[in-house]
Amino acid sequence: MRASTSNLLLIGPAALMVVALFLYPLFFSLVSAFTQDDLSFTLDHFVKVFELYSNDIKFTIIIVLSSVVLLAILSIGIAATLTLSPFPKLVAVLALLYRLPLFIPFIVAAQMMRTFLAKNGLMNNTLVAMGVMTPFETISLLGWSGIIITFVWKQLAFSTLLISGAMAALNRDQIQAAQNLGASRLRILVDVILPQVMPTIGVALVLSTVTIMSVLSVPLMIGTGSPTMITADIAFRVNSYGDYPVANALGMVSYLICAGLAWFYLRQSLKDKGALS
Amino acid sequence: MAHLDIRQLQVGYGDKTILHGINLQVQKGEMIALLGPSGCGKTTLLNAICGFVPTQSGEVHIAGHEITQLPAERRNITMVFQSYALWPHMSVAQNISYGLKVRKIPKAQAHKRVLDLLSIVNLEGFENEKVTNLSGGQRQRVALARALAVEPDVLVLDEPLSNLDAKVRLSVRHELKALQKKLGFTSLIVTHDQEEALVMADRVAVLNQGRIEQLGTPEDIYQQPETPFVADFMGADNCIIYKTSEPNVQLHLPNRSTAQTFALYFRSSATQVQAFSNSKNEAGLTLSGLVEQTAFLGQQYRHTVRSGEQVLQADSRECWPIASQVSLFVPPQALHVFDLATHETSNAFQSNLRG
Repeated sequence: MRASTSNLLLIGPAALMVVALFLYPLFFSLVSAFTQDDLSFTLDHFVKVFELYSNDIKFTIIIVLSSVVLLAILSIGIAATLTLSPFPKLVAVLALLYRLPLFIPFIVAAQMMRTFLAKNGLMNNTLVAMGVMTPFETISLLGWSGIIITFVWKQLAFSTLLISGAMAALNRDQIQAAQNLGASRLRILVDVILPQVMPTIGVALVLSTVTIMSVLSVPLMIGTGSPTMITADIAFRVNSYGDYPVANALGMVSYLICAGLAWFYLRQSLKDKGALS
Repeated sequence: MAHLDIRQLQVGYGDKTILHGINLQVQKGEMIALLGPSGCGKTTLLNAICGFVPTQSGEVHIAGHEITQLPAERRNITMVFQSYALWPHMSVAQNISYGLKVRKIPKAQAHKRVLDLLSIVNLEGFENEKVTNLSGGQRQRVALARALAVEPDVLVLDEPLSNLDAKVRLSVRHELKALQKKLGFTSLIVTHDQEEALVMADRVAVLNQGRIEQLGTPEDIYQQPETPFVADFMGADNCIIYKTSEPNVQLHLPNRSTAQTFALYFRSSATQVQAFSNSKNEAGLTLSGLVEQTAFLGQQYRHTVRSGEQVLQADSRECWPIASQVSLFVPPQALHVFDLATHETSNAFQSNLRG
């Protein structure tokens, strides 16, 4: 009894911070999303959300899923090259390059992508100058593809950092053992490395999802306005209308999307553990 | 013709050369131990044979085919690692059959081979066990089975026993040797444990600073070390420099002039501790000194005896009291005599002098 009291006292300050800074705002936005001004229960805000923004919600889900899939493929590819490549010079260059986006804020990345991807941006100008296409054939990549490119470019550094760290932590002998049994590098990646770094890949992708769901600058700067991502809608509701209930209802939808992916990840990792034992 | 033929192999990292012109011929079915202190290049030699590190020059041939430039996955040389290097996400059977799966051996056939191997390494019934549930000795036997599953041309073992505790090590050592005799695989084993090398190997190569100092049968290496380093490494770690007979150091060697300067190496177990006397002219080395320290080793006592500037170890069943004056006698057949004009003394010797 006494021990449990002192334990409570010990975790008290930390618990209080979580309650005050996370649970209370969460609860407040929940309440605000489900109630009218007189605090009576209503689903009106959600009805409004789905009437006005169901396209944006679909758009957001598609952007998030495509970004995460591309991220997984690219970061596993880079991390595998770093771990398995027989060319130390290539590895050194790649190890330096892939980290750069870590130090660039989203808003700067978005600005760079604007000048790079626009119809008369750096990329198209280069292609025209190289004679690959004529100025009439150039297209602007601003819009959904630009948003995905920016998210993947920016988050690639983070997820590669996590995944290549996990790969580097594997015992080198395990790779050599597979090698002298005749396995090619691709087989080693699939049979030996990936099964062991799966949990880290999951963490990297879930964290990237949460980041992508919360960035405002990229859809605002690179998007075409409509459809746009949920973050832009929330900002619009709050800034233009002072409409907190609908903004909070939109927030709930983002929570649910993140929670859905997190559930998928947890279920998958529990299944893997169950299959092993 | 040798099954594994290593010619003038030179390996290094950057500017640093680790192996200098290694020549080694291994016959089919032979087990050779690479013995040496840490940093002598023995593991690098294994890695070069496996293809994990590039060679600077020289050639490696297996059964008449050159494999120097082949990548590791095409060499058919498998390694047993000190760390076992089993894959924790696979079962025992999956670990063992991995090489067969890569070679696209039909499943039924691979399964049969796994069961055969499990019975060979005494792990029947373990095929569905997780490797993380096994003890160190069991893991190393799984690793051995995995390496043998693909019937490698050469099996290399990199200190396979040094992560095991003393008792398990002896039993796995015994099993490994018995298996090697039974199956007759050609193998190279790296070890820093001289006893392990003597017990397991058909021939022993003692490595020092990237060169093979001596290659021979265990008996040769133990009884006729060719260099001071080999003598010292094989346990003859008492060393004195002999210039001329002095009252407390007397040397009489049959058939050999004692007018030169010699380095004499001998084992503490071959050194007899006797009551101090002035008797002379017995063939062999006679020293006198004071007992500084004794230690009980079970079978006998080890005495630390100071004779002039040198400190020597001598074993005796009798425990001589500290500070008593004794004579140490080494018979001529137990003395390894190196002419200092032709041999460099080893580092161990120099540290002995300082100590």
